[in-house]
Amino acid sequence: MIDVLLWLCLLAQTQAAEPAPSAEALTLLRAGIEAENRHDEDAAIASFRKASEIAPGSSLIFVRLGGAYMKKAAYADAIAPLKRAEELAPDAPAVHQLLGFALLAQGYSKEAIPHLEKAREHGALGIAQLQSGQPAEAAANFQLALAQNPDDPDLLYYLSKASAALASQSLDKLLSLAPDSPRAHQALGQHYFSLKMYPEAREEYERALTMRPDLPGLRLELGQLFAATSQWERAEEQFRGEVKLQPGNAEAAYRLGYALLQQGKMKEAASELRRSDDLGQDMSETLYALGKSTAVSDPPAAAKAFLRIIELEKATALAAQAYLALAEIHRKQGKTELAAREMQEYRRIKASAPITPPAHQ
Amino acid sequence: MPLKGVDFTLRNSPTLKKYLIETMPGGVALLDYNNDGLLDIFLVNAGRVQNPMTWPPDFARHDPHYWNRLYRQNKDGTFTDVTEQAGLSKAGDTNYGMGVAVGDYDNDGYPDIYVTSFGKNILYHNNGDGTFTDVTDKAGVAAGGWSTSAGFFDFDNDGNLDLFVTRYLDWTPANSKTCGAEKPTYCPPGEFPAVSNILYHNRGDGTFEDVSVASGIAAKKGHGLGVAFADYDGDGFTDIFVANDVTNQFLFHNNGNGTFTECALDVGAALTSNGKMLSGMGVAFQDYDNDGLPDLLVTQLPHQPYVVFHNEGKAGFSAQELETGFGALSGAVSGWGVGLEDFDNDGWKDAFVVQGHVFDNVEIYDSSLQYREPPLLALNDHGRFKRAQVGSNMPLAGRGAAFGDLRNSGRIDVVATSLGDPPQFFRNRGGHAHWLGITLRGTKSNRDGFGARVQVNGQVRFATAAGSYLSSNDKRLHFGLGSAEKADIEIQWPSGIHQTLRNVNANQFISIVEEQQP
Repeated sequence: MIDVLLWLCLLAQTQAAEPAPSAEALTLLRAGIEAENRHDEDAAIASFRKASEIAPGSSLIFVRLGGAYMKKAAYADAIAPLKRAEELAPDAPAVHQLLGFALLAQGYSKEAIPHLEKAREHGALGIAQLQSGQPAEAAANFQLALAQNPDDPDLLYYLSKASAALASQSLDKLLSLAPDSPRAHQALGQHYFSLKMYPEAREEYERALTMRPDLPGLRLELGQLFAATSQWERAEEQFRGEVKLQPGNAEAAYRLGYALLQQGKMKEAASELRRSDDLGQDMSETLYALGKSTAVSDPPAAAKAFLRIIELEKATALAAQAYLALAEIHRKQGKTELAAREMQEYRRIKASAPITPPAHQ
Repeated sequence: MPLKGVDFTLRNSPTLKKYLIETMPGGVALLDYNNDGLLDIFLVNAGRVQNPMTWPPDFARHDPHYWNRLYRQNKDGTFTDVTEQAGLSKAGDTNYGMGVAVGDYDNDGYPDIYVTSFGKNILYHNNGDGTFTDVTDKAGVAAGGWSTSAGFFDFDNDGNLDLFVTRYLDWTPANSKTCGAEKPTYCPPGEFPAVSNILYHNRGDGTFEDVSVASGIAAKKGHGLGVAFADYDGDGFTDIFVANDVTNQFLFHNNGNGTFTECALDVGAALTSNGKMLSGMGVAFQDYDNDGLPDLLVTQLPHQPYVVFHNEGKAGFSAQELETGFGALSGAVSGWGVGLEDFDNDGWKDAFVVQGHVFDNVEIYDSSLQYREPPLLALNDHGRFKRAQVGSNMPLAGRGAAFGDLRNSGRIDVVATSLGDPPQFFRNRGGHAHWLGITLRGTKSNRDGFGARVQVNGQVRFATAAGSYLSSNDKRLHFGLGSAEKADIEIQWPSGIHQTLRNVNANQFISIVEEQQP
């Protein structure tokens, strides 16, 4: 299909500018195409090459030759005839498409970029740009490509890679332009946190906080660091600070509620988790923590939260946890049949997606 | 603090091969082997590990460096090594030592010692004259594979102590492997096949019968490390809880007819309050909130708190690690030996946990964790636990822990083991509250009275020496009485006999003999 389209396209693009090939060249061209149809790439290449020697001014023939090499994955051999085709038909998008692909396949990403731009090949262009150190441009092109193929795993992969590279590039710039700024210290804090270098991360966050105690998000991140190392009192202090700064932030309220829950401060936890649920409704993790915090003091409220999780999550690990928690509530109320039913659901989910064991660390 | 006269070092012999056995020993027992009223100490040693390990292995247990050791307590509080004269030296070159259980299996009035190993286990019969005899072959309790914690209890209430042996996993040097991205370290248990535990029924003639299959115990495979016993549902038969590492916890309900049903998941004692598996290590099975029902405290590795399974009576158990305060106390530490004992004699059982990570190079993987950690003492304030000063912040590669009143002072002390180190003695100097120490002497029931439910001024203890991790506790039952100078005692013996004593004076050790009732 691509062959036919390419042929028609090239024919249309070059017809006016190029002299028609001789009959002998056309015969060889046809023989080459027939060989390609038979999947005899070597014979096709031989025919196209002979045709190109007879008609060195035909871009069509050079494109066919380059295309045949590419079908054999002989990208290095494809480049020369495609470049000749470009000389002969500099405005033909199909020529640029093939040449861009061939150059990219050989690692000549910078050289490939102008060809892929002309061919409007956003996906391949993004890869060439990413490899050439242009992550911002790459990300933009991947998004354009994804608009046409939203579920393409390769494009999704490359977009995440470009975004990471862009973040790294921006961080480098931030650190070189304003190394002692609060944002630079925050960024370094995030970096160390991701590497589990907790003391270093804490130091950076605290320096940032000293400079800009009002910066939204900083205390949330520092609190998460304390939470990751099970320092719940310290985490609570930071989350409280964040909640004060951003009373409308559902995540901050959730994190504070969770830290309170870990310390067994059930009443306070429930209050904060309810507030988080009001701010950002139907977040399953918030509902689960809310259920746990009210399981003893207000079993009907806890059951309501767990049931909502099941509605939202259907058969995930969190839904399984919700069934387990519901079973416990029913057992305590003496409703053994209901408890058994919830356990049956728990077992059903667990059988399809076994519980992940804890890391042995 | 060191124990005067105890020159023991737990030699686990870690290698770069990271053989999993290296990081798991070793146990300690507090027992009065010569009935002189003073607690003695038995320490399990591990062995020399060759790199690479040969098969069959040679752990050089003939070398005195690797012997298990028995230390007799002298009247002045010092200890004397009596290992050799007691006949407890050596332990078989192919056995890498793990844990210890103590119980008077033949009801002759002298505590016997059972030592678990990677390899074969050994039952030492106490001859009553300061010596022991290896009766393993005659008794038929050698087990095999990798045994960890063990305990004596009387599952059929026939008056003879039976024996439960937990086993960890199917590991040999041939299937050994290392894990870890940057530096090799020990692999998690899921890398090795699970195994079943063993239940030996005491025939009453000095021999035991392996009833693991017939009883239903062998039907469940796990990664068993800790074991504790109590009658959780009050039906008169002792149940078994097994702390499993990264497997559901096991609660074997005693059906009263020689069989057991594993029911932990259905009664809410298998997973954390978040429905996650535990890395279960050690376990204590006592009533922490004075509601008369035995609860469970299970220690585990970091990033999840130690789990408290609160006994809700007919409603089973509910995981209450957050409500009890363990969420804040234990999220970043690794717990092993554990006890629920009333350290301040205020009438509420407190928690003591020996800690230390399983990886000796864990700092490489997570800078917030440490291999060596100080122990945790958490005092119980009406069911909620709060951190207290242990008296020593020396970090340990803690493993086993045994609890008992070593100085007969009316206060519970702790002896803990630490890999590569001498044992640590945590002497309890706290408080002047009243107390009572009770020694049970069964007549129709087993002589140790294991399995009895003893209630003193409303508090309940279940008589056992088992629990913790790889270790065996003082069999005497200790009660803190707070300001009470008198105590009312009610005993429900395993035989079914109910016995009551009123107005017993506080601050004494008493021996209670099971009444003969029709």
